Amino acid sequence: MNNSARTKAYGRSAMIALTLAVLTIIEFYVAISLDSAIFLMLIALFKAVIVVQAYMHVSRLWSPEGEH
Amino acid sequence: MTTVTAALEGYTQQLRNNRMGLWLFFISEAFLFGGLLVTRFYLWGNTRPELDQTIGLIVTAVLLLSSFSMNMAETAIEHGDRRTFLGGLVVTAVLGLVFLIGVMVFEWGLFPAIYEGHLTPGGDVYGAVVFAMTGMHALHVISGIIFIAIVWNLGRKGGFSSERHWGVESCAIYWHYVDVVWIFFYPALYLIGTVAH
Repeated sequence: MNNSARTKAYGRSAMIALTLAVLTIIEFYVAISLDSAIFLMLIALFKAVIVVQAYMHVSRLWSPEGEH
Repeated sequence: MTTVTAALEGYTQQLRNNRMGLWLFFISEAFLFGGLLVTRFYLWGNTRPELDQTIGLIVTAVLLLSSFSMNMAETAIEHGDRRTFLGGLVVTAVLGLVFLIGVMVFEWGLFPAIYEGHLTPGGDVYGAVVFAMTGMHALHVISGIIFIAIVWNLGRKGGFSSERHWGVESCAIYWHYVDVVWIFFYPALYLIGTVAH
């Protein structure tokens, strides 16, 4: 595997982390301004879906190749 | 079928089974953490104890950052970058320890000389739920750090390759799972409801 593929993969990882950080800040301000439990749990659910999909590779469960 | 092809197919099948087993374990764990979340909403309703918001945000950021470093470590071994892989594991373990210390000092108040906590496990319903939720989560953080240490030690000895690294993948997925649990626990403990204690 070449360096550009590796750099691209690291960049993708950083973008996901940045998205999660932004969502956490939004979550904090939603708690202060709106005080909506449902909205806060929805943001948490959205963050969890991102982690499960991007970091935990849930889609590999049904990939036919069975590769890493 | 050559010996190499047979070995690869055997590994692929084993990998599928391992993944399924790990995710079934996560589902069973979800009942435990889900039960704790339900307990929080049943007992607290739309109230919450007074917990330090800055500390909550900092420990959450630390855990999210540790997920990033763990993903970097996993991506590194996938691409044969052993140095980043080992470094990523160390950073993740250190961030996990920082999270743990943050919880022990500022949520549990285990070191009154540094920070005097006002909640106790047997004090009232707020203390009981906070200690149950953070305690169970902290137990998983500790086991995650031990898991990382084992993987780091094996990796240091050249135990994983870009083709075969189930140990790294399972360790990373486990760590991210611990993060996912905190993603739900953070608003439940710190953000939802009005301060009642």
